[in-house]
Amino acid sequence: MKKITAYFVLLILLVGSFSVVVSAQSNNDVLIKNASVLTAARGTLENTDILIQNGKITRIGKGITAPAGARVIDATGKFVTPGIIDAHSHSMLDAINEGSFSVTSMVRTRDMLNPTDIEIYRALAGGVTGALLLHGSANSIGGQSTTVKFKWGHPVEDYPIADAPPGIKFAMGENVRQTTFSPPPGTPLRYPRTRQGVIETMRDAFIRARDYKQAWDDFKSGKTKVQPRTDLELKPIVEILEGKRLVHAHGYRADEHLNLMLLADEFGFRVATLQHGLETYKIAPEIAKRGTGASIFTDFWGFKLESYDAIPYTAYILWKNGVNVSINSDDGGRMRRLNLDAAKVQKYGGVPEQDALQMITLNPAKQLGIDKRTGSIEVGKDGDVVIWNAHPFSVYSRVDTTIIEGVTYFDRAVDAKMRMDVAKERETLEKLDINKAPGTGGGPPSRPAERRRGDRDDADNGDGGNN
Amino acid sequence: MNSQRTMHNAKLFLILVLSVIIGGQFSLVSAQNDGSQQNQTGRAGTFAIVGARIVTVSGATIENGTIVIQNGKIAAIGANVSVPAGAEKIDGKGMSVYPGMIDAGTNMGLAEITLAVNGSVDLTEVGTMNANTKAIKGINPHSAHINVTRVNGITSVLSAPAGGLMAGQAAIINLNGSTPDEMAVVREYALVINFPRIATGGGFGGGGFGGGAQPVDFNEAVKRRDTQVEELKKIFKSTTTYMRAKDAYAKDKTLPYPATDQKLEAFEPFMKGEKPIIFTAERERDIRGVAKFVSEMKVKGIIMGGQEAWKAADDLKKNNIPVIYTNVYSLPVRDDDDYDYLFTAPSKMAAAGLKFCISTGDTGPMVRDLPYHAGIAGAFGLSKEDALKSVTLYSAEILGLADKMGSLDVGKVANVVVADGDLLEARTNIKYMFINGRMIPLTSRHTELFDSFKDRK
Amino acid sequence: MLGLVAICLLYGTEAQGQSYAITNAKIVTVSGATIDKGTIVIRNGLIDAVGANLTPPADAQVFDATGLTVYPGFIDTLTSLGLPSAPVRPQGPGGGGGGAAAAAAAAALQPASNSNYPAGLRPEDAAFNEVRAGESQFEAVRNAGITTVLTIGRTGIFNGQSTVINLAGDSVSGMVVKPQFAEHISFATLPGQYPVSLMGTFSALRQMFYDAQRLQDMQKAYAANPKGMRRPDADRSLEALFPAINRQMPVVFNANTEIEIVRALDLIKEFKLNGVIAGGQESWKVADRLKAQDVAVLLSLNFPKRTTASSPEADPESMQTLRLRADTPKGAGKLAAAGVKFAFQSGGATAVGDYFTNAGKAVEGGLNRDAAIRAMTLGAAEILGVSDRTGSIETGKIANLAIVKGDLFGKEKFVPQIIVDGKVFEQKEAPKPTSGRPDSGGQGGTPPNAGSANVGGMYSINIDVPGSPISGTLNFTQAGSALTGTMITQAGTAPIRDGRVTATGFSFAATVPYGGASLEITVQGSVSGNQVSGTIDTPQGAVPFSGTKNP
Repeated sequence: MKKITAYFVLLILLVGSFSVVVSAQSNNDVLIKNASVLTAARGTLENTDILIQNGKITRIGKGITAPAGARVIDATGKFVTPGIIDAHSHSMLDAINEGSFSVTSMVRTRDMLNPTDIEIYRALAGGVTGALLLHGSANSIGGQSTTVKFKWGHPVEDYPIADAPPGIKFAMGENVRQTTFSPPPGTPLRYPRTRQGVIETMRDAFIRARDYKQAWDDFKSGKTKVQPRTDLELKPIVEILEGKRLVHAHGYRADEHLNLMLLADEFGFRVATLQHGLETYKIAPEIAKRGTGASIFTDFWGFKLESYDAIPYTAYILWKNGVNVSINSDDGGRMRRLNLDAAKVQKYGGVPEQDALQMITLNPAKQLGIDKRTGSIEVGKDGDVVIWNAHPFSVYSRVDTTIIEGVTYFDRAVDAKMRMDVAKERETLEKLDINKAPGTGGGPPSRPAERRRGDRDDADNGDGGNN
Repeated sequence: MNSQRTMHNAKLFLILVLSVIIGGQFSLVSAQNDGSQQNQTGRAGTFAIVGARIVTVSGATIENGTIVIQNGKIAAIGANVSVPAGAEKIDGKGMSVYPGMIDAGTNMGLAEITLAVNGSVDLTEVGTMNANTKAIKGINPHSAHINVTRVNGITSVLSAPAGGLMAGQAAIINLNGSTPDEMAVVREYALVINFPRIATGGGFGGGGFGGGAQPVDFNEAVKRRDTQVEELKKIFKSTTTYMRAKDAYAKDKTLPYPATDQKLEAFEPFMKGEKPIIFTAERERDIRGVAKFVSEMKVKGIIMGGQEAWKAADDLKKNNIPVIYTNVYSLPVRDDDDYDYLFTAPSKMAAAGLKFCISTGDTGPMVRDLPYHAGIAGAFGLSKEDALKSVTLYSAEILGLADKMGSLDVGKVANVVVADGDLLEARTNIKYMFINGRMIPLTSRHTELFDSFKDRK
Repeated sequence: MLGLVAICLLYGTEAQGQSYAITNAKIVTVSGATIDKGTIVIRNGLIDAVGANLTPPADAQVFDATGLTVYPGFIDTLTSLGLPSAPVRPQGPGGGGGGAAAAAAAAALQPASNSNYPAGLRPEDAAFNEVRAGESQFEAVRNAGITTVLTIGRTGIFNGQSTVINLAGDSVSGMVVKPQFAEHISFATLPGQYPVSLMGTFSALRQMFYDAQRLQDMQKAYAANPKGMRRPDADRSLEALFPAINRQMPVVFNANTEIEIVRALDLIKEFKLNGVIAGGQESWKVADRLKAQDVAVLLSLNFPKRTTASSPEADPESMQTLRLRADTPKGAGKLAAAGVKFAFQSGGATAVGDYFTNAGKAVEGGLNRDAAIRAMTLGAAEILGVSDRTGSIETGKIANLAIVKGDLFGKEKFVPQIIVDGKVFEQKEAPKPTSGRPDSGGQGGTPPNAGSANVGGMYSINIDVPGSPISGTLNFTQAGSALTGTMITQAGTAPIRDGRVTATGFSFAATVPYGGASLEITVQGSVSGNQVSGTIDTPQGAVPFSGTKNP
């Protein structure tokens, strides 16, 4: 809560540089004036205003008057897009893989969210407002995912989007098979080691989940008397079978993604997204037919054997076939330039501008089941918008302001001010005795604390207790 | 029965093991051998691009001009240039002509698939002292990365070996040719030295994995660095001794014949400052360490990496050390770093008057993103002109090729690209390209796979 | 530094009937008003009387405490005192490496068990069963004025059940003040088996809580009517959780950073536990939630301090580090202001003197002085559930007393007498030091281990690279404390440099080819039995590894 307060203080200090009228920041109402608005739904609107009230977009039009208390941002000559949504991220996770079993559906990335990860702020500076935080790809069935908005400075519980449908990671290919390396002699191999084994591992999990559901149904109907165990591994898989949990399936080769979709056909659910899916262009009609989405890199390729057939035209071919395509990052660095990855989609095949923009906004929102609230600039949706100094598909563009639900989470001017403040704070802190290096004044040199054997060297941070 | 089954199982196991071990290479070979991308070296001829915007980089942009390519060179440029008889005319209306881009920091051709396809990777030699190993002897002219890269307007790259202390010699190649010799611009351009750095583990490069990285004691790390620098200096010393013995023997054949040491021999031109040494270094203290080393050992130095080179601009300028900056796409390494720390570094180098160029630093597959690295630097303080120069003329200058490439000037090698927009923009398409005056087909592994699958129903 | 060499004497109230009287003392009762000059009478190990105008009984052995102050014996609310082996603590956020190391050590330390659960997931492990009597091991701590501690190992995810002991006595049965206080949990991981990640740790804990709840229900049903019902398991590990899920036993979570504490609070809420936070370095940041959930904090006084010298080539320290050092001493004051219950603990690894001097820093940082003393005495006893018998100077309570000369929080503080269960220990001020030997800080009971571990051999390891765990081999040749050999991974074989063997493990550096470049790595690990674990620091961050020795 401290951070957020500090942030607003900064905002208020900086009203000058916004050419803003701020009376009270309490309602978070914002009026963005006179921008080129790339709505990602209804084309581009020139010289247009957007009013955000109580976190929602309430008006889009020309000559909107600011309600009392609203912050006004003059965006003349600037571009506004919906906040970018990254449908494949591991940012802000303190652990990514539970690499023990090949089915770890019981683990949840929600438990690992760390709101102090600086990648969040850097993503905001790249215009990203929301993300799907996925378990890694070590397992056939990985952990449960979390759909978040990057509300930097907020307590962790504010990050997950409450009404987003739950998701889970599946994975196939080299990582799951653990064949990208040769284990040292004597190490037992983990099942599965083949693509066909991976599919059978998944099938086995679904069959167990079906039996588990049966056991509960029997208990609920009174057929059996003893309450079955609550099985945290199988519960989420039952939810998949019931269509309540979205499957996001990591894979590269077309055949294995196809095999997963066939397995889904067999068990009667729809795979939500094929993640990476760098060969999905080979099976575009099969994907389209099932209404499955694809969440891909635009042009990243060749980093491993199973990405060797990747081509930058994948988004185009999928789009032409009517598949919902999103462009993701899977990387804190790439996350900051998803706008350029969308621009490249236009280059490779010639997808129209709005359709390309949708691949980083509305399409991922649909894939994550949050398109009712975000992903495009439309009245009634959350006020998740990004203000750019130039067209976002230009390499010369920069994010000026990133807003989530009417609240500014990144702003270049605020950032510049913060740098000065932090520099001042550093100066103050470095002068404190406690922060002085031993032997440079500030009292006698302190002897390193006694450590028990087995303690790791905590260097400057002390042991800080028992952890 | 039993023994038969055992035999059978053993065989099966062997097959399984073999397929795991060599599976990668097999499919790789087949991937390389299919398709038409083999030996697509384009065609020679006389070409005239007429009515185009000509961005010479070295001089003023000609809004509506003609450029003539003949005998592999740029034969003429100007607003009123006549098209030679027999020249193939290209309508340049709505198009911009640029010099081909140069990436001065790749491993092009040395690693097809880096992860777990070891058979395709020739990046790192065993041992610390490999002054004699040369990238040009490992570059695969038929790597799929080459065509994929050049069709985005990149015509030349520096390809460097990696790893160890002295990684080996980097080559400068054009991205065209059926043999390494056909590709070579400078076969043995520079020696790559991974300059010893203060590696504490916890700080620079820390973060990211969320764990409490336990840093090595800093003073310990300084000592370790100093020891490694001393080791490096020892190589200089033994080379000097070796050369003296050889010289002495040359003058006086009665002396014992000094046995040939090809590693030291290979190191000689670099030690003497006849050829440059590329030092990899990122942070200020390490870069200053390089500058000190260069000054002390009197070698010709180039920094590769260069995240904080702007902070050490004084030392670098004093010692004429330019920077191949490979970090536009990198994440800042410290939490406290400004979000745009590595985006703004090129503009800070420019402001400090440092000689630098921008590189992807990529192994191969993503070298094609070079223009966007420069473009992003252009969004964060670097002028658009400098952004363009940082992947053309500046790269050529640092690679000692400014008289041959990097700009559109008469007499220079005809490495020329024709684009339908700003060369650095992500939506711009390359319409024509020429390497050594040969018109290059705009096909690659990617266009071929695209053509195969785009109409699949 | 005061040059005190503490000499501990058993002064003795061996004759059980005889009383002992401290006269002319300033008495900080904590429970009531401070008596400026008064008398305390001790008999049968209990406080027999206390007051300003008391005459010592005729049989009393009288100690004239003129100029001295008597406090209730101080309580350290989290130690591993009296436990047989020096425990290995799991490490901070991220857990992986240290956790694995801890669990590996745990596996080696713990006796063979027939539990269904692996070492590290056995809540039934009880400090009460492990703690050893023997007064000498408590000397250093007791001499500082601490009479009572909570003790528990720190290995595994479930550290087990803690016990409250007085720091004197010939037998465990006599020392124990409260056999079982709480179940203790670390956000650690297990080596080589589920949960290998911190993420898995949360799921493993959840599943065990669910399973315990169900088992309890089934056992109840079976006890009521066994006929026709399949007999429920007798599962020691799950049964050990019954008191925790029934809120009869507190559950202590070792958590220091804000996010760790929040995660603990979430679990406490989810399973309606009677939760306590231990460590709590950033607990002030979530004071509101702690208050709202009525969760107490065993607040570590092991404040972060700078130990590294400055170097012209070094980076500036991170803002996080600078802020942490500045903020931590202010935390207690903020907890107090927010109305959060807390007690102090030594934080395990500091010199014992820090317990007092850092409590003083907490006072400088805004904590009321009386509140600080309370957090070391009665407040601590309340959280540990022993305030009915100790923690204050009241008639009828255990005679646990510290008689202090000088400022309690000052560097010159000296404790001439410490009384534990009525047993009087005296120490004399040593003559001024002749050598420059620093204070006698550090906890007793763990003799330093001389020499090096035995780490030679070949180990198969798994390196937990996020997103793509990889395996490898460590090939070690040991010569004394020097270590040579190779590290083999998918990337190739790298010779190790600067290899050293320490008391429990090893460290080395290597250059590993990786992804087309080469990585400078440094590796630290510990070896315990045939288990190996540790951390690989790369320019991209630190990754944990663990594995086993190849036979």
